[in-house]
Amino acid sequence: MPDSERKNDDVFGARLGRILRTDERCHEDFEKSLVAAIQADHPVERDVGRRSAPTQPSWWLTPITIRLSPLVALPIAAALIAMVAMSTTTLRSTDSIAQPQQVAQIVHDTVSVVRFVFVGEAKTVSLVGDFNAWGARPVEMTPTGGNGAWTVSVPLGSGRHEYAFIVDGKHWVADPLAPTSADEFDTKSSIVNVGT
Amino acid sequence: MTRRRNRVVHVDVRTWTDTDLVAASSSGDVEAFAELSRRYRDTYIRFAVRMLGNHDEAEDVLQSAFIRAYRAIDRCRDPSRFGAWLYQIVANECRTFVTRRARRERRLVRDEFQLNEAAVVSPASEARDTLEDVQYALNQLDVEQREAFVMKYVEELSYEEMAEITGAGISALKMRVKRACSRLREMLEEVHDA
Repeated sequence: MPDSERKNDDVFGARLGRILRTDERCHEDFEKSLVAAIQADHPVERDVGRRSAPTQPSWWLTPITIRLSPLVALPIAAALIAMVAMSTTTLRSTDSIAQPQQVAQIVHDTVSVVRFVFVGEAKTVSLVGDFNAWGARPVEMTPTGGNGAWTVSVPLGSGRHEYAFIVDGKHWVADPLAPTSADEFDTKSSIVNVGT
Repeated sequence: MTRRRNRVVHVDVRTWTDTDLVAASSSGDVEAFAELSRRYRDTYIRFAVRMLGNHDEAEDVLQSAFIRAYRAIDRCRDPSRFGAWLYQIVANECRTFVTRRARRERRLVRDEFQLNEAAVVSPASEARDTLEDVQYALNQLDVEQREAFVMKYVEELSYEEMAEITGAGISALKMRVKRACSRLREMLEEVHDA
């Protein structure tokens, strides 16, 4: 390539580079979410080596017993649907909120990282599902963006998974925007299909 | 806090070297790995944003790359150069994501909200090409050309550093950069002529 052509490219590239060199920052809870995802990755061993002394995450919630009552669950579900509807018109990135069941699936090997999003007023929100023995190892969600959105990313294997949110440590809430299933006590859970 | 030989030892991982943190992570200390993440995440997020054209997806891909790094940390042969090793994984993850997304969508949809938002923060002195226009043009490039252009002119890496991260030869990288410049110039001139 002639020197003059290369110099032109350098000037042009440097000019675009200045435009593209924006100040980008990760969300402040990035590490909390990362540690949660790594801990939830427990069934998947690292590629090489084994952990000699697995650390116990201090933020795991203790297992909880949830008493379900339609009188409690129905108003919460109705309020949640209303809040989700409001949030889709006000949040900056509506796509990530309007599809709480699987905003992003990033496939690596046989595991996908699935982001769960809950929208609603709460002091704490955790995620339970068949992938963590329904609360034996609940995954704490983190508030994101100050819009009442709570998120967590969890590695899941391919296939169908059922899940629900635990709000304030006691209220069981199915995802209003995902397909649901019910157990023998008519407790609703949500369904996410990974890798299909 | 690290538990060793039945004694609880309080340590400040912020004072540790990368080598120390890699060794601790390798033995299962997730907090040590979180400190590595804190050191490098903001260095790599801009690269991921420019590659993907979207901040939320970039954070997801970065997290996926970091999980992959944690799983494979025993393969980090030179822990003192953990940052360069991590960059390779981030670049691979971005490339894989972009390729899969392109296959899935087969077309790029212009996110009007994001572009309008981006236009507000583009430097006024270079208003002829706004951030929205340049990012849109960048999104149209072949993933290898995009990667080479971003590394060269946004992250300002040397060709030697780019070669180490991508595994490509220097002459191949120079050709990708040249083609990227040509295509970007064409696309941006079309925008201005329109």
